[in-house]
Amino acid sequence: MSEKSTHAHMAVFAKIDHIAEALERLREFGIQEKDMSVISGYPISDEMLGRPMVWSNVPKIAMGGFIGAFIISIALNWGTPLLYPIHVGGQPLLPVPPTIILTFEISMLGLMLSTFLGVLWESLFPSYGPKIYHPDVSHGKIGLVFTCPDDQCAAIHKALTEAGAEWVRQMEAKPL
Amino acid sequence: MSEAAKEKWGMVIDLDACDGCQACVTACSLENNVAFAGEESVAYGHGMHWLRIQRYWEGEYPNITARYRPVMCQQCGAAPCEPVCPVFATYHSEAEQINVQVYNRCIGTRYCANNCPYEARTFNWFDFEWPEPLNAQLNPDVTVRRRGIMEKCTFCIQRIRRAEEDAKAEGREVADGEVQPACAQSCPTQAIVFGNLADPKSKVSRLARSARAEKLLEDLGTEPKVIYLKGGSDRDR
Amino acid sequence: MTANIPAIPLGDAHHDAEAEYREEHLMLDPRPREEMNNMVLESMRDKSLSFWVTAGVLGMLVAVALFGAWGYMIANGMGVTGIRRPVFWGVFIANFVFWIGISHAGTFVSAILRVFKAEFRRPFTRAAELMTTFGLAAAGLYPLIHLGRTWRFYWMIPYPNQRWLWPNFHSPLVWDMIAITTYLLSSTMYLYLPLIPDLAMARDHSEGWAKKIYGWLAMGWRGTEAEFRHLNTAINIFAFAIIPVMFSVHTIVAWDFAVSKVVGWHSTVFGPYFVTGAILSGVSAVTMVLALIRGTMKNMKYFIRPEHFDALGKLVLIFSMSWGYFFFNDFNLEWYGGEAAGHAVMEYHTKGPLAWIWYGMLIANLVIPWATLWNKNVRRNPWAMFVIGFIINLGMYAERYMIVTFVLSRGRMPFDWGWYKPSLVELAISLGSIALFLFLYVVASRLIPLVPVWEVQEGQLAHTLRKIGRATVISVSELE
Repeated sequence: MSEKSTHAHMAVFAKIDHIAEALERLREFGIQEKDMSVISGYPISDEMLGRPMVWSNVPKIAMGGFIGAFIISIALNWGTPLLYPIHVGGQPLLPVPPTIILTFEISMLGLMLSTFLGVLWESLFPSYGPKIYHPDVSHGKIGLVFTCPDDQCAAIHKALTEAGAEWVRQMEAKPL
Repeated sequence: MSEAAKEKWGMVIDLDACDGCQACVTACSLENNVAFAGEESVAYGHGMHWLRIQRYWEGEYPNITARYRPVMCQQCGAAPCEPVCPVFATYHSEAEQINVQVYNRCIGTRYCANNCPYEARTFNWFDFEWPEPLNAQLNPDVTVRRRGIMEKCTFCIQRIRRAEEDAKAEGREVADGEVQPACAQSCPTQAIVFGNLADPKSKVSRLARSARAEKLLEDLGTEPKVIYLKGGSDRDR
Repeated sequence: MTANIPAIPLGDAHHDAEAEYREEHLMLDPRPREEMNNMVLESMRDKSLSFWVTAGVLGMLVAVALFGAWGYMIANGMGVTGIRRPVFWGVFIANFVFWIGISHAGTFVSAILRVFKAEFRRPFTRAAELMTTFGLAAAGLYPLIHLGRTWRFYWMIPYPNQRWLWPNFHSPLVWDMIAITTYLLSSTMYLYLPLIPDLAMARDHSEGWAKKIYGWLAMGWRGTEAEFRHLNTAINIFAFAIIPVMFSVHTIVAWDFAVSKVVGWHSTVFGPYFVTGAILSGVSAVTMVLALIRGTMKNMKYFIRPEHFDALGKLVLIFSMSWGYFFFNDFNLEWYGGEAAGHAVMEYHTKGPLAWIWYGMLIANLVIPWATLWNKNVRRNPWAMFVIGFIINLGMYAERYMIVTFVLSRGRMPFDWGWYKPSLVELAISLGSIALFLFLYVVASRLIPLVPVWEVQEGQLAHTLRKIGRATVISVSELE
């Protein structure tokens, strides 16, 4: 890694075509994919931007939650009557239909709770520290955040403006 | 479903001997601290009786007869009230083979009352009071229930317990006829007989084997422990 | 950012077609995002006098009619209600089933329509999802309200305790409690997840305390690729997972009745019958709420259009027919081969002193929808849909009332038959819970953006017009 000083910059675009073009230009300057980030007010797919696919672990976390809750439901349904048996209605101690019902419900609760917590975990929410952001994004513009070495800044700004950026500037991380 | 029906305590009621005098209802209410709700409340269905005499009129004038059937909790072997209670406030006592009601566990969902095909359960709609000196009549062996709790006939379990404890202290078995619930004790025609159905020689077992024996709503599969004897009187000719 | 409607050279004859499409379809009438943001925020921030009066009256009703009457009942005992032997459940349980039914509205719209990619759902998924959350809030009170010893409700919750007592998992009421908890938590999370980008938008458009609170709720959302990826994955998982939960919740509520030995309740058709009835009353309630939103909130006429009422009206008609199918299933079998006890129950329904309720239910749930909803002009009229939705909900409430109270009053032994008469306390609490639902809704509509603008924009991006032959047709793309 070089010792060159770098700063965060942001450029704002109105159209998907322009930002896709801008990303190409940045790559020509040698900026890495990991140093580029697109922020928008509505979802834009990776293919539209020409970016590598973002991997999400949320489905795995959801599955883990489902299995964990399944185990808890078996413990409740079978563990508690076996430990503390009480006979009711001539029914067996571990009846099958209530087991199916409760196991389904509790497992689904686990699935959904863990999906929700998975989103928070993967996105590192909640996070209230300083970040690179500009409200233009939620006004409908698409933002391009990138780090570039100081000596290339001016050239990159010019290239992005040519590609259709409405403005480009160096940004300080601020609380949202 | 339950295994080959286990039995212990059971009751036989001879409908041909019952004349609907309501002595059993009164005795039960006094023995078990059942609250007196008042005429209007009883007419609306807020009565507290654990035992009621069903009365059906039959025939056309002048040949009208009344049929009486005392109905109380049938202490079912496969009780529909038990599995539906969310907190296990009613469950099956394996030792006594009757349906137990746990007052301090009941939260009053009243599902058990809906599910009982015999409408045998009552609910404490209010807190009832026994102003002085009526509180002197309360039976100290039986809990006084507060509002929000289900209750029902218990086959006078306090008397069953007392007899069992006495028998154990004396090192013997409970004798046939030693346990008399309040209703059996007070019936002037001795229409109600109580005892151990598991003992084939007890009076209640012998009566239960009678040709006149029937059970109420038997085809529901609830396995009631109350057997009714019906059909041998003059009135049925 | 405007959606790319291609500049196809259109002759004059076709120019009208495009304008017509724009007026008819929200998805073909894109406005700049910032303009839509401001429209939604303006309607959220608009707090006129009528809003304060409405919120005040509803709040007072909640305090007095719901909590006041409930407190009175807790202090004095259940005897202040009309519940009696043999009708041990009454208006409270009918209300409970009714509110669970209403709560199916939101999930149907936001989950099932999402899974089927019905684009017309986009502007009102949140309005419907709010109905689910608040419907469950109202419903969830009733298992507490109808308890004889409400203060001991927590014994139904499984937790380790020193008495070694656990709830009875054989009991449908415990299944209810777990299912409703699952459904409430899931629908709240499913409401919250798509709300996050809109909360971020509100944060960016607010000052002071409002900005702090929206910022806190938005949890630092910026809209990065990763954030949207995780969010969309989660929303898709939720949409698929919450549908079986929705079906199971109302089925379990139906099983409170169907697993019992009560004649007239013990029917195998109850599960699907109740679910269908819930969706019918839920979707009808959605049309009522949308008509109210469109009529009383600013700018909503842009987002909620006759096309939406048209689509919902078709759904109401379909579900009215499904409800009729299940109703007739239940009725026919009991009528034909039922036992004497079952026939006594039927006779009470159809020929008893309250038979007008039964006939009224059939008119409201079948005759009126079938007579009106085949007509496109009726379906497209928001106020006509409001009235029809209201009538259907009255009919569905009557159905639940009859299932609970009529059936219980005619047991197997005629000596024990009894007539149920609801008391003022029950009516007050019922009114209070309606006020609670409306109060929560009215307040929420002024606190969070009611329309998911990012989802509307996403949809508008996917819709274009294109020419096939001489016709201009709508084309929808898959963006994911």
